[in-house]
Amino acid sequence: MPQGEIKDKKTLSLHGKKNLGFYIAIMAFPVLQFCIFYIGVNFSSLFLAFQKIDVLSGDITWTFSNFSNLFKEFSSTTLLSDTVRMSLINYLISLICGTSLGLFFSYYISKKLVGSMFYRVVLFLPSIISSIVLVTIYKFFVEEVVPAFWFDTTGKTIKGLLENFDTRFFAIAFYVVFIGFGTSVLMYSNSMSEIDPEIIEAGELDGVSGIKEFWYITLPMVFPTLKTFLIIGVAGIFTSQMELFSFYGEAAPEKLQTFGYYLYNQTESAIGVSEYPRIAALGILLTCIAVPLTFLVKYLLDKYGFSEN
Amino acid sequence: MEKVAKIKEKRNVYSPFTIIMGIVLALYTVTLIVLLGWAVITGCKSQDDFYVNKYKLPTEWYWNFEYVYSQFTVTIQTKLGSRNVGMPEMYMNSILYSVGCAFAATLVPCITAYACAKYEYRFSKIVYSIVLVAMIVPFVGSLPAEVRMAQRFSLYNHIWGMWIMKANFLGMYFLVFYAGFKCQPKAYMEAATVDGAGNWRIMMQISLPLIRNLFFTVILINFITFWNDYQSPLVYLPSYPTVAYGMFKIKDTVINGMSTVPMRMTATTMMLAPVIILFALFSKRLLGNLSIGGIKG
Repeated sequence: MPQGEIKDKKTLSLHGKKNLGFYIAIMAFPVLQFCIFYIGVNFSSLFLAFQKIDVLSGDITWTFSNFSNLFKEFSSTTLLSDTVRMSLINYLISLICGTSLGLFFSYYISKKLVGSMFYRVVLFLPSIISSIVLVTIYKFFVEEVVPAFWFDTTGKTIKGLLENFDTRFFAIAFYVVFIGFGTSVLMYSNSMSEIDPEIIEAGELDGVSGIKEFWYITLPMVFPTLKTFLIIGVAGIFTSQMELFSFYGEAAPEKLQTFGYYLYNQTESAIGVSEYPRIAALGILLTCIAVPLTFLVKYLLDKYGFSEN
Repeated sequence: MEKVAKIKEKRNVYSPFTIIMGIVLALYTVTLIVLLGWAVITGCKSQDDFYVNKYKLPTEWYWNFEYVYSQFTVTIQTKLGSRNVGMPEMYMNSILYSVGCAFAATLVPCITAYACAKYEYRFSKIVYSIVLVAMIVPFVGSLPAEVRMAQRFSLYNHIWGMWIMKANFLGMYFLVFYAGFKCQPKAYMEAATVDGAGNWRIMMQISLPLIRNLFFTVILINFITFWNDYQSPLVYLPSYPTVAYGMFKIKDTVINGMSTVPMRMTATTMMLAPVIILFALFSKRLLGNLSIGGIKG
């Protein structure tokens, strides 16, 4: 082998070692953090679900009782059915109202119609305001201002919208949809503005405009972005709190509770670690439903979703 | 001719569908302005005035901010007993929590994305796949295990502990940074290597400065998210109440009439102000720089 080639190989190997050293140095912390706070936490959650922790001594015994107790608890009360119902309703409302309105708004913005840039800012604004701040304002507004305004205009007395049993769910659902446009509208409108104008022009020549243009051209073109949101959104069935903790703190009415609220509230209000295994067991059960459900939705969207062609 | 084309274009764009959307958006804007405006106005009322006048302008304007700033406290439990934490300390905790967490939650995905984009080892592909899988696969109810893990590593109830816990590379921002680094021409790195620059120098003086706008946008979004977050401090930082934490606890307080609606609206305005100022200053950057595929604009 010629002398120069050997030298080159040596330099290359030294360079490769230096690269590897640098790579390990910058990846060490992120990987360690991931191992502890993602892999470690999720495995720990799995183990926790099968543990019973003694309140006084902290001794751990392995058991299936967390799961059996959960089933007993859920079969003797309406808590599970109520929570499932509310979690699904919340998901469907965000899907039907939130997603479709988000897409419509993005279409309006991407067309650069009157005030579109202003509306883009306005729609993003609620997502930068703390939920506790916006909820506090909204709560007092619907509890104090709406009844007062109604009385001043009609002379009739009504209850606050959250106090009234018949309207409280709609008041909360409206709020959840109202604040949820920020990031999605930003992403959808960015995707829509990237659509080739020639495709739209070709559609216009064929007499396609308005809702037809939205349905036959825009929606299929932004479907990859929409699909990402829809797939990630499935987890929302099990994690969304519907802002209930901000509205009610630890005392949300049982009939309104979602899984996300229930899990957070139980952890936040737990008196000691002995209460954690039960919550972890519920988490494992929900994960067992959430994971296949997410992949099912992905499969269905891949198979039956819009095609860019 | 140009005028005719413009009119035709407008006719195409302004369909009944877009007009209805325009009306809905206008109603949305009015609702938001009314809500925020009402909060500011109510924050300038006395409780007596609010009792008889819920939504009109104050009969007499009050400057409640000073009072709320000096009087509002949150009671926390420490090893030495209970202690009241005032607004100045809450602001300090908020700043430490949100600046530190925002920096950690931006730097780690950025550096990891840099390593994955620039060094084509098999491990980089694995990390990239992990990020995608973690975004799709939901693990529910791991909060108790996370709290225990924080306690085990002595990170619980320490603001610096939260910085470490939030310093993970998972999530959308990894993909955004990854796309950003992938867009950078390889020739820059090669030229720097020929000139004798090492790996650190290439990263610090060539690659990172090229994505500084993107980095700033992500850190800004993260700062706002952590500033507004009250649920994590509630669970992990019981002894370090932030302003958002205080806002949540204000409903329990009975100190000096602080639980009245005008005082609470004053407190909401005080918490809102920094975020609104940041948004007003950097709204273009916040709204324009990110897209799921990478950098925009």
